[in-house]
Amino acid sequence: MGAMGEDQRERMEDATVDKFPEGLRVLAVDDDCVCLNVLEALLRRYIYHPTMAMDAKTALKMLRTGKVKFDLVITDVRMPYMDGFKLLELTGLEMDMPVIMLSVDCDKKVVLKGINHGACDYLVKPVYTNDLKNIWQHDKSRRRSQAISHMGRDNAVDERVHPGTLAMSKDSKNKRNNEYHSNKNTESTHSSTTQKSQGWHGQLSFITSF
Amino acid sequence: MDYANLRRQAASLKRSLFDQGYLDEQFCQVEDLQDEASPNFAEEVVSLFFKDSARLVTNIEQAMEKYPKDFNRWDAHMQQLRGSCFSIGASKMNNECTSFRNSCREENAEGCRRSFQKVKREHAVLRQKLESYFQLLRQAGPARTTAVRSGGK
Repeated sequence: MGAMGEDQRERMEDATVDKFPEGLRVLAVDDDCVCLNVLEALLRRYIYHPTMAMDAKTALKMLRTGKVKFDLVITDVRMPYMDGFKLLELTGLEMDMPVIMLSVDCDKKVVLKGINHGACDYLVKPVYTNDLKNIWQHDKSRRRSQAISHMGRDNAVDERVHPGTLAMSKDSKNKRNNEYHSNKNTESTHSSTTQKSQGWHGQLSFITSF
Repeated sequence: MDYANLRRQAASLKRSLFDQGYLDEQFCQVEDLQDEASPNFAEEVVSLFFKDSARLVTNIEQAMEKYPKDFNRWDAHMQQLRGSCFSIGASKMNNECTSFRNSCREENAEGCRRSFQKVKREHAVLRQKLESYFQLLRQAGPARTTAVRSGGK
């Protein structure tokens, strides 16, 4: 283990392609190398196949080249040069990719901003093992096959991912809610012109269209 | 070499780090991520943390000097450090980071300076304590680390 290098990343990408389709192929993006290392180890615990990127630009490049067909992106909100919201916006416009936001910030405004921009979930740091247990549910291809297998059953609608997967229930995280709330909006605003919903709203309409 | 004694010392040190609030449950999670493939994961991540956080502390120091009263900038830098602290469970250090951010919010430059000194102090203390902890673990031997892990919870 250690900090991610280019060679290591490429080897991981190749390994991911070889192991397809056993686990979920996750692209995790965070400029914080400590968090990224811990996140990678957590993802591997659930037999997800993580590829790590330390900035949004590299992540976009990986997504656009299509060398690895990722199922899911987890991205930190605050990153230099291009933040998580911009990455979310671009992945939403260019490819139908579920994106989970990740942040130390548990401010409700920021969480809502993520959801309104189309994020399918919002995880607050530190990420716990349990937070990642069900992220596979955000992968559309898996849910599609689930929806097909449940076609015609009354509980098909209940198979959609609820916003309740938002990891906000831990006591330590609730405590942080009271510690600091910024009245000023220090985030750069990204007004998404398309406001494309690729979260559970989109999935609900997909499932009910059956 | 009395491995059992070293194990006890490591467990005791870890317990005290939790009792005194230096570390929280996230540190246990980091240690739990160790396995045969990554037997030194915790030490590697902690080492990475101290290397990276030293850089972030320098960034904050420079920002405070170069951009006086630019509380948004100071706050943004501190958020980065805070994220790292969360990742390894550096609880006490994190609390001081939060105090700093509160001072930024209040636009209290003197408060920021005081909090920042505390952040640096907690950083140094935690580094020393964790270095001692991992040194004890190394001396106790790799096969024995699993027994130590239960000591601090």
